[in-house]
Amino acid sequence: MDPQHPAEVPLPSGLSLPLEVRVHGRGGQGGVTCAKLIAALFTQMGCFVQTFGDYGSERSGAPIQAYTRVDRAPIRNANKVYRPDHLLVLDEGLMRPAIFDGVEPGSLLLLNSAKPIEAFAGKFDRYRFGVVDATAIAREQGIGSAAVVIINTTILGAYARLLGLPVTALEKGFAKLGVSGDFAAARQAFEKVEIAEVLALEAPASPAPLPVPPPVASTLEHSKDFPPTVLTGTWSNQMPSYATHDAPCNVACPAGNDVVGFVQALKKGDAGAAAGLLFATQPLPSVCGRVCPAPCMGRCNRAFFDGAVNIRSLERWIGDHAEVQPVRASVPRPLHVAVVGGGPAGLSAAWKLARDGHAVTIFEAGPALGGVLRNGIPAFRLPEAALDRDLERITALGVKVRCNTHVGKNELAQLSHDHDAVIVAVGFGAPVALGVKGEHLANIEQGLDFLDRAKREPVTLSGSVVVIGGGNTAIDCARTAVRCGAASVTIAYRRGRKDMPAIAEEIHDAEKEGVRILSYRTPVAFEGAGAVASALLAEMEAGPPDASGRRRPVVTNRTSPLAAATVLLALGQKTDMPLPDGWSMKEGRAFHGDRALPVYFAGDCATGEGTVTHAIGSGRKAAEAVLGVHAPAAKTNGMPVAPGQIRFDHFEVARPHEDRQIAVKMLAGDFSEVNAGLADVSEAERCFSCGHCTLCDTCIISCPDGVIFRDGAGYRIDPQYCKGCGMCVAECPRGVMAMQEKTV
Amino acid sequence: MSLELLSANHGAAMAATLAARANRKGRGFVSGVYPITPSTECMEFLCNQKIEKSHVVRVESEHSAMGVCIGGAAAGARTFTATSSNGLAYMVENCITAATMRFPVVIAVANRTLGPPWNIWADHGDALILRDAGIIQFFCADNQEVFDSVLCGFRLAEDKRVMMPVMVCMEGFILSHRTAQTDVPEQDKVDAFLPPTDVPHRLAQIPHTLGQIEVPHQTEMHRMQHHAAMLDVPAIYREIQDEFEKIFGRRPPDMLVPYKADDAETLIVSMGTIPITAERVVDDLRAQGKKVGSLRVRLFRPLPVEAIGRVFAGKKRIAVIDRNIGLGMGGVLWQDTRALADPGTVVQDYLAGMGGGDIRPEHIVKMVEDIEARTASGAPKLMEMV
Repeated sequence: MDPQHPAEVPLPSGLSLPLEVRVHGRGGQGGVTCAKLIAALFTQMGCFVQTFGDYGSERSGAPIQAYTRVDRAPIRNANKVYRPDHLLVLDEGLMRPAIFDGVEPGSLLLLNSAKPIEAFAGKFDRYRFGVVDATAIAREQGIGSAAVVIINTTILGAYARLLGLPVTALEKGFAKLGVSGDFAAARQAFEKVEIAEVLALEAPASPAPLPVPPPVASTLEHSKDFPPTVLTGTWSNQMPSYATHDAPCNVACPAGNDVVGFVQALKKGDAGAAAGLLFATQPLPSVCGRVCPAPCMGRCNRAFFDGAVNIRSLERWIGDHAEVQPVRASVPRPLHVAVVGGGPAGLSAAWKLARDGHAVTIFEAGPALGGVLRNGIPAFRLPEAALDRDLERITALGVKVRCNTHVGKNELAQLSHDHDAVIVAVGFGAPVALGVKGEHLANIEQGLDFLDRAKREPVTLSGSVVVIGGGNTAIDCARTAVRCGAASVTIAYRRGRKDMPAIAEEIHDAEKEGVRILSYRTPVAFEGAGAVASALLAEMEAGPPDASGRRRPVVTNRTSPLAAATVLLALGQKTDMPLPDGWSMKEGRAFHGDRALPVYFAGDCATGEGTVTHAIGSGRKAAEAVLGVHAPAAKTNGMPVAPGQIRFDHFEVARPHEDRQIAVKMLAGDFSEVNAGLADVSEAERCFSCGHCTLCDTCIISCPDGVIFRDGAGYRIDPQYCKGCGMCVAECPRGVMAMQEKTV
Repeated sequence: MSLELLSANHGAAMAATLAARANRKGRGFVSGVYPITPSTECMEFLCNQKIEKSHVVRVESEHSAMGVCIGGAAAGARTFTATSSNGLAYMVENCITAATMRFPVVIAVANRTLGPPWNIWADHGDALILRDAGIIQFFCADNQEVFDSVLCGFRLAEDKRVMMPVMVCMEGFILSHRTAQTDVPEQDKVDAFLPPTDVPHRLAQIPHTLGQIEVPHQTEMHRMQHHAAMLDVPAIYREIQDEFEKIFGRRPPDMLVPYKADDAETLIVSMGTIPITAERVVDDLRAQGKKVGSLRVRLFRPLPVEAIGRVFAGKKRIAVIDRNIGLGMGGVLWQDTRALADPGTVVQDYLAGMGGGDIRPEHIVKMVEDIEARTASGAPKLMEMV
């Protein structure tokens, strides 16, 4: 024993030295430290020790071993431990026959397991066997983290009990090792460890021999082949896996379009497949490709790199160029469904039902299909030809259309008798009134009425025009006013310019056309003799945020007049839906008392969401409700792929393809379309394909061990050799790969 | 003195730290470090020490790590670094610079196989690339020896008669990661053992260039000076052992460690931790009446030629165990052994434990059986670690 180092803790009687301990654990569990702690404990008993781990480049969770030697004299042994006297197993999952290599009957075996000792009856009779739930104790004592419980100090308590150390000695040892904080856990393990003495000690059979070294060979006579392969797959407790995740554009699309799907199909040059994917949810691509505010582009991960993919114009390209013959499915008993309203929601509902083989009749109050698309959006933004192209596809499915047919309360009740179901999609009701003095002066007009009028007949304006509002209707009114000859056009909006709900490009185009935007202004009165002459605008201040998260505008008493020969009001519309007596609307469906009626509501009259795209989504959902189809909920797969999951450095910087703009010589009187869209679909090549594997082979290339292989329509990873390094996951450009725990 | 439980990596760093602090009244301490398995823990430990008048620079490569040491030594600082395997290979150019510019840098090397293919386990081949570079090389057998060799290494490297780098080798994982009691002396004793570093040719008041171009005759002279200084090392090392013993009360191991070698007919020659196993085999075989002995070569460069010659004299058989291979020739230790053994001795090379295989007593017993059946020296043999 070491004279320089008097024993702090007495060596338990009955312990014979030299002693060899082998610890089996998993990387990260603290097995190597456990062996060190055992060594440190024995130094307290005045012994010489030596301890080391046996591992290499394994990652956390892989099986590792650690050794401790204890002796009275300095240790002269540089080898690993092949014949341990004590065997500590920190994880029951490691209990395989090989773990007992070199362990002789009568040796000590300590196992960390949640099972009671009875569960091991008959299994370890040849050993002095202890079992303790060190993981539970350490977890309860908060050692390590919730995910990774560190049990090395706890198991030491149980080991001390098996050694026959008094608990006071253990406490002293912990103090000396500087781990007194963990003593409570060790003490619990000391008390709780269940011990079975050796039950069946046969005559000490000669231990299994160690492998016999091969004969010494000349350097030219050695094994010709490589020695047994290293199955590096056993080093890991995690494996990479592939899964399709939601692209943010898909999640953002109110119509439910498979955006990433159709853009990727375009990228592959398969315009037909792209159209097929798009038309599954979207009957109006020529329309939406022009007027959709494109929330998909707002969420596009490429916006964090070099600009969002110009998805809207790719959709337009399909709408304008796709040669699609819509196919009507055949069903044994088609339903007869009436759709009230020929706007986007009604058209979408009719499209879905007709494609599924049902008989649809659209009842439209106006002279032609289209609703707000036909009378509320100016031709320079949505030419009639584009709208008609989309409408022709719908009518080609055999949808019947009855125009100039107003459906009132009574007619609605009748329709519900005559049809299997009715979908009501009549859009918004009356415009929101401003409620200020002078609102009824001449030349103050609702913007939608003005737009409708300007589409049907030539309208001439002069002098200054003031538009009130900040949405697309306000912008459309302003740009139409410019084309009707207004000397100046000013938009007054009660919030800031960046708060305007209109499409940003449209605002930009309006400004280019000479429209002036006055933000933080609201009219408090209109003045004039008979006809309006000026608007009295009050300044607004940004107040605290409202429910929409935008700051609520507060009217101040600072006012100034603005000359106005014409005022156009674009303040939005109310949802007011006249229903037959006794009917009520609940969650998009009509009820008579408590009885559900086969009458469904879709679009702005049901939701008030106010965009074409929302209306399309709403219309399809109403059709699905009629069909008793529940929208597949499994579309989402957790969170959409975030910008942080995209490896930007895998992509070349490529600015978005902008829409081609047509130079207009003279805006007044020219209502032709100013945006010519994209020349081709090369913009689709910019799509990251977030969360959707493109078979780009980056995983194959980045695998340091070359154990990823192409396999049919995907990839195969060889689990025998995958070390679980995670390189492929880290390198996957589009967030398709993730590490998964392996089951032992 | 206190007994600390330290890994050999940490022991080397602890010794370097004490040596660094001992130079606080001199020109301080400089170290350039870059991590590589299995020597990383050494530089990590060093980076965590508070050392007055010191600069431990975490650089971007091993080449620069030695560059920092060269700069530090040129400014008169005490210098140290640690590396391993291909890290050492990358450092080689600057190691040669440190050697030929006669800077007393101490280098701890956790011996690891050179790759690719990558293997992180023990092999002496990395240090042996620098066999002929004018760097003193110790191969250690246990934790205490690593610690002591680093301390002695500074004293030796900075001795004005020596003035060259010292490399302290420990086998990767087998020793670098082994924790055992290590006797750590107090600072004042280290201060007494290691006087302030004095690099006579350091850059001082007058700007000048070190390592300028020279003509062939100058190179001849420089090589001979360097060689002569190396040949003086065994004698100087003995002085240092004496001094060490006087101050610390224990003697660091000799440059050669014979074990029951005097009357041995068969001698096992090896380096690093292998001789520890060989000595156990010697005990076992002696118990069976076989005249077997072991020679541990602790100082490999300069090789203590005369002392080895005395041990080798009259031996019937010498079995050399090489944890390396000089490709195209054979084990590096065997090459030297052949040159120094008596002409009639059967000298046989056994390549064993390359790439980290655990050389167990059974393996060495096999080698002894093999050489005892021989009547003449042969080509190197491989002991496969299956």
